[in-house]
Amino acid sequence: MTEKKDELEIKEEPEIYPLSSDTQVYAEQMEMPLETGHAKAILEGLLFIVGDEGLTVEQAMSVLEISRQRVEILFDDLMKEYAGDDNRGIEIANYGGTYRFLSKALVHEYAKKLFQMNKHATLSQAALETLAIIAYKQPITRVEIEEIRGVGADMMLRKLLARDLIKESGRSDAPGRPIIYEVTEEFMNTFKLLSLDELPELPQFGDMEDSDELFGRE
Amino acid sequence: MEEFKVTIEQFDGPLDLMLHLIKEKELDLFDLDVSILTDQYIAYLNAMQDLHLEVASEYLVELAELIEYKSKKLLPRDPGEIDDNYEEDPKDRLVRRLLEYQQFKEVSSQLNQLFEERQLLMTKPQSEEAEQWIRSTDDMHYDGNPYELMRAMRKVLLRMQLARPIETKYTSREISMEDRQLQIRAKLDRLPKTFRFESLLDDCHDVPMFVATFLAVLDMARQHILAFTVDENDVIWFSKGTIRHD
Repeated sequence: MTEKKDELEIKEEPEIYPLSSDTQVYAEQMEMPLETGHAKAILEGLLFIVGDEGLTVEQAMSVLEISRQRVEILFDDLMKEYAGDDNRGIEIANYGGTYRFLSKALVHEYAKKLFQMNKHATLSQAALETLAIIAYKQPITRVEIEEIRGVGADMMLRKLLARDLIKESGRSDAPGRPIIYEVTEEFMNTFKLLSLDELPELPQFGDMEDSDELFGRE
Repeated sequence: MEEFKVTIEQFDGPLDLMLHLIKEKELDLFDLDVSILTDQYIAYLNAMQDLHLEVASEYLVELAELIEYKSKKLLPRDPGEIDDNYEEDPKDRLVRRLLEYQQFKEVSSQLNQLFEERQLLMTKPQSEEAEQWIRSTDDMHYDGNPYELMRAMRKVLLRMQLARPIETKYTSREISMEDRQLQIRAKLDRLPKTFRFESLLDDCHDVPMFVATFLAVLDMARQHILAFTVDENDVIWFSKGTIRHD
């Protein structure tokens, strides 16, 4: 009797615990209303429409009414399809949690020719350093940034705010309750980062570690 | 003296200058001879002044600290003072700051690399049809800050550039803000109650005209002829008539 029951359970198992993500998608597709069976095509179309505004997983979930896991698999599939196909001139990137269509790097040179463009957008060394400090140390106050760079940061912070690369995120509990700053999703988009975990590692110099422990700022 | 001019441009503040001097004079950062550094630093600032370059106050702040350290070294130390009121040794503090600054200086070049890579990947604005759905006509209430408006303006300018034909010829006209306001008032009749800022730009082909338009609408907002708001997609919306300000 007991043996028979075991057999039954084993039989059902593959259906309850699908083995691969493909099976999972397939299973979900079966349960879905007919019109969202083309979820991948719809997602691709939406990405096209939203352009540089991009699309987040949450938006896709609520619009297509499908699970987070499924959205992530579909986005992942789309990204691979475009990136892997050398005959495609566009690709999909996820920076800061927002998916966007982008033209591939190899197109850039020809786009420049088409638009007779020779200007290059740049960020000044001062802007880069300030952004680096905020990204690695956030949330951080203006005074703390100035302490590290040794120069006033007021104007630079205003410029970076206007470029949407940083944002004010409340106030510190320190005396005077100074404003604290953080980088934005646009920062992630500008530096090709999925999240702050992807920031390049800070270089260590000599016994930096030791001096940090001895004279740490915290 | 002329050679200084080139290098001065490169420095991004006093710490950057100190790092440069340390490297140039082959000083050991971990056993820093602050006296030599101070002398070099002063020589540098003097050279800047000889060239009639304004020495930014930040450089003088650090100079004061260097000199304070140097002078303290000449005085006998009071051993009792240290236990009572511990302060980080100024030299250690300077070295720690230089090391920390060096970290961010180095990593910023890596960030720049990523930035340049990203510049090669281009995107397009959201479909215009879709943007027209986004906003319902009522509820124009703006409580954002000026940066949001600046950001939205940047986007408008960017879009205008994208829409520009590849080759074109035009003659620039100068128009006063007041004249532009009259033109806009005439346009208003043809526009719906709520409209995008871009709707006013169909006859703007250069930046001065564009700026005149922007100033004109700001002034009209001040006079309560128009009200504006910036939505979450940084689109600037205008609506005719006075809007409650609560």
